[in-house]
Amino acid sequence: MTTETLRTTVTAGRTGVITWARIRPLVIHVLLAGSALVMLYPVIWMVVSSLRPGNEIFRDPGILVKDLRIENYRVGWHALTEPFTRYLLNSAVVVLGSIIGNLVSCSMAAYAFARLEFRGKKFWFAIMLLSIMLPIHVVIVPQYILFSNLGWINTVLPLIVPKLLATDAFFVFLMVQFIRGIPRELDEAARIDGCGKASIFLRIILPLMVPALATTTIFTFIWTWNDFFSQLIYLTDPHMYTVPVALRSFVDATSESSWGSMFAMSVVSLVPVFLAFLVGQRFLIKGIATTGIK
Amino acid sequence: MSALGELGSLRGKKPVGQKKDNLAGYLFLAPWLLGLFLITIGPMVASLYLSFTDYNLIQAPKWIGLENFSRMLSDERLHNSLRVTFTYVFVSVPLQLTIALLLAVVLDRGVRGMAFYRSVFYLPSLLGSSVAIAILWRQVFGTTGLLNQVLDVIGIHGKGWISDPSTALGTLVVLNVWTFGSPMVIFLAGLRQIPTMYYEAASVDGAGVLRRFVSITLPLLTPIIFFNLVLQIIHAFQSFTQAFVVSGGSGGPSDSTMFFTLYLYDRGFGNFDMGYASAMAWFLLVIIGVFTAANFFASKYWVFYDD
Amino acid sequence: MRPHIRRTAGRRLRALAAMAVATTLLAASACGGDSGGGGSSAGGGGDVTLRFTWWGGDTRTKLTQQAIDAFQKDHPNIKIKGEFGEWSGYWDKLATKVAANDAPDIIQMDEKYLREYADRGALQDLKKSEGLDTGKFEDDTLKAGEFDGGLYGLNAGINSFAIVANPALFKAAGVAMPDDTTWTWDDYTRIAAELTTKLNGKAFGTGAPGTNEAALNLWARQHGESLWTQDGKVGVSPEQVTAFYQQVLKMRDAKAIPSAEAISQDMNAALDQSAMATGKLAMNWMWSNQLNAMSKAAGTELKLLRVPSVEGKASANGSYYKGSMFWSISSRSKHQKEAVEFVNFLANNTAAGNILLAERGVPPNTEIRSAVTPKLQPADAASAKFIQDIGKELGDPSPAPPVGGGQVEKIIQRYTTEVLFGRQTPDAAAKAFLDEVNGELK
Repeated sequence: MTTETLRTTVTAGRTGVITWARIRPLVIHVLLAGSALVMLYPVIWMVVSSLRPGNEIFRDPGILVKDLRIENYRVGWHALTEPFTRYLLNSAVVVLGSIIGNLVSCSMAAYAFARLEFRGKKFWFAIMLLSIMLPIHVVIVPQYILFSNLGWINTVLPLIVPKLLATDAFFVFLMVQFIRGIPRELDEAARIDGCGKASIFLRIILPLMVPALATTTIFTFIWTWNDFFSQLIYLTDPHMYTVPVALRSFVDATSESSWGSMFAMSVVSLVPVFLAFLVGQRFLIKGIATTGIK
Repeated sequence: MSALGELGSLRGKKPVGQKKDNLAGYLFLAPWLLGLFLITIGPMVASLYLSFTDYNLIQAPKWIGLENFSRMLSDERLHNSLRVTFTYVFVSVPLQLTIALLLAVVLDRGVRGMAFYRSVFYLPSLLGSSVAIAILWRQVFGTTGLLNQVLDVIGIHGKGWISDPSTALGTLVVLNVWTFGSPMVIFLAGLRQIPTMYYEAASVDGAGVLRRFVSITLPLLTPIIFFNLVLQIIHAFQSFTQAFVVSGGSGGPSDSTMFFTLYLYDRGFGNFDMGYASAMAWFLLVIIGVFTAANFFASKYWVFYDD
Repeated sequence: MRPHIRRTAGRRLRALAAMAVATTLLAASACGGDSGGGGSSAGGGGDVTLRFTWWGGDTRTKLTQQAIDAFQKDHPNIKIKGEFGEWSGYWDKLATKVAANDAPDIIQMDEKYLREYADRGALQDLKKSEGLDTGKFEDDTLKAGEFDGGLYGLNAGINSFAIVANPALFKAAGVAMPDDTTWTWDDYTRIAAELTTKLNGKAFGTGAPGTNEAALNLWARQHGESLWTQDGKVGVSPEQVTAFYQQVLKMRDAKAIPSAEAISQDMNAALDQSAMATGKLAMNWMWSNQLNAMSKAAGTELKLLRVPSVEGKASANGSYYKGSMFWSISSRSKHQKEAVEFVNFLANNTAAGNILLAERGVPPNTEIRSAVTPKLQPADAASAKFIQDIGKELGDPSPAPPVGGGQVEKIIQRYTTEVLFGRQTPDAAAKAFLDEVNGELK
């Protein structure tokens, strides 16, 4: 669709008076704005729904609201056994721990895989990839038993410790691919300057893989913030509930649900992730291209 | 060919005389190795063991040898779930990656407002697996949903896209494509890593937009394209949440969105047949493993590293 | 040198892996009684902490927490820790915890999974529990949680499968409310078809039977069969399943029910998003205790009707009391006495009854029921009255589904879809349906 439209506009631009070069930015903006609207419609619908009385949400499928009501936010915040602040805080703890864990441990493992030559490298790399190929549903029971024997149920440890130990192979692999994109001459130069492996990692590789680290941070934030299954299983004490677990407590397929509260709190929980993305993406841009190295 | 040659001249030579660094290697790998042995391996091997047993979660597992695996041969719902999963993987992954790459290239420019668009395009991915998605999707693709309202205006009488077995899987593909944010961000990060001097050099040579994309962007981005391809394939094979949430856990209508993992979950937790579910999981692991290995093998011919 | 290193490394790896498997699996198969209940382990006088888990929305969570608080006030030495969540996650969590020998002490159970857990020894036989008072329970309501001579779940709310009607749509169509004590399937189909015609596309007459197994069970019971037998087998014949699907097709051809797409879409829709709630159906099949939630969602007062019968006699329509949910106690709970005390409180205490009202269904304890009825919201009072009214017409209690039988809802939904879309004939679907259900039973 998009490319076709682009192409026809290109030919039109050549024959017409206005040149393609001049209208191109405009065309791009129009196209982007159009698709942005399509992308956004469901999100807008969600925000609008959060401002409606719960039982009106499904009877009126449009996105026009007659009167804005923040009632759902007020009610939703205190609808469960704890105020919603509690769940936000719990989620924040889990997210923060996971981010630190992933950044430190995955970058170390990635550096080893991408730059160091050691025996068994290929074997371990294959094992690492294998470890993310098994669906979680069959490992969750043995894993639960393991953590339960360690006495870690109802603590954040089962959610954070694995990240500290780089079990998220996705990020290891991601960083490996990025490090392999960094020219080796830089390592070489540093080595000639007398840098050891550790300081090459800290002074050359890490600063140069900021986009990858930013990506890791953003993804860890979002995925952990939204992760339902493991938080559901490991955190059973309502004091320990996180945002996704709490959100699902509003709606139950078999009984009365509070859709208004659910949508309102969904919007609330969207704010931190969206902010995280806004902040995080600034670092995406500070890649090698703009840091002035070379 | 010429593109490669051009790049070859831009890039330095391979460093010579690599020494082994076993100690440093294992030190850097230590956290991961620790995690592997303390956390990952146990449950993995346990699930492998369970795949040879009859295990209902409540009573102790009973060894039954290969019975679970031979059962898979004649399980028609499993065969159906494989068909559904393969269709999904082969349609949605290329579609999602192409769109993500194109948008990443467009959004990578310094044009004013790009940061805004980046965020907007990423927003659906933030919603990802939330319950709200299930509701939204019905609101859009249901019999009286938004799509049909739009179609009505232009005189086409739509149908219940989610509830018709022939189109339900299609809506999930759309859902997956709609959440292309993650690969897009990875592409963006990859684009940011391409040194501008390559483009400057190409501009001096008088290369146009398309030419620069084909001869610089694409080749230098291949490690990232490769990464996205490998991971999105793994991810698509394991696809669970979206289908689970949209179909209310049933894989319906008529098993048309019954992904392999959904069926696995249904066997394990719905039917208390964790032995069979574990066998299915290891079967899936072999399938994904083969695809990933093939990917790595093929990568020698098209992925381009700077080291 | 090198091969030697490799061999030791390999051996070490294997040893480590073996250890890991051992730790995980040993716990899985352990049979000891460790419910991990927290608190002090010594029974008797010391403080005891019980874990109590339920599923439901936030209304239920609030009411239940109030009941817990009331109980704790009376029993300062017992602390109840509530764990709550929505339906689908609830069962994953429970299965995982039971597998890891970490089950909560008191469990809100559903009929679907009752035998699944009980037959495997995870639930306590409440008949053997000392001090559980079931004196105020009608026999029919107790039977719902009983099998193999034991009581594994105490009815927590009575439910009955019924037709829910939207009087506003009946009025708009100018169709009179049927006499539900005498209506037959033909009446039902005719009235629904009339509604469809007169509502002229705005809404359809009725939702289809067969979007869950309850309607099939009623159909079977009207024909002298039943979906499950007491000894845990399938009790419905292929002929009756075929006849049931032929009835569904008859209704489709009469335009009594909406399109296949609309019905299939409704199967997994949230209650509030369903066609009944959005005013697209004048009637539908529903559990009686959902009347309040459905009325609220629809924004109008809905009415419960008895299900139609073959003979046109309410006493022959096959209705039965179902436990909307049950209280069960983990067989591995270390605090059986206290757990029973709490279940007693939930089931028999007027104070608890006044808090919980009919949110989980009409209270089965007859004394609580009459004490609570005046306090109920109109819709809940209506469903309580409905339960009371049909009490005299009930047939035999319906046996709980056997192990593996919990899957039947998803299976029947699939074959109903197949039939409605014309992808399978009624008799082919009936045969395949029964084959598959039989295959699930263990």
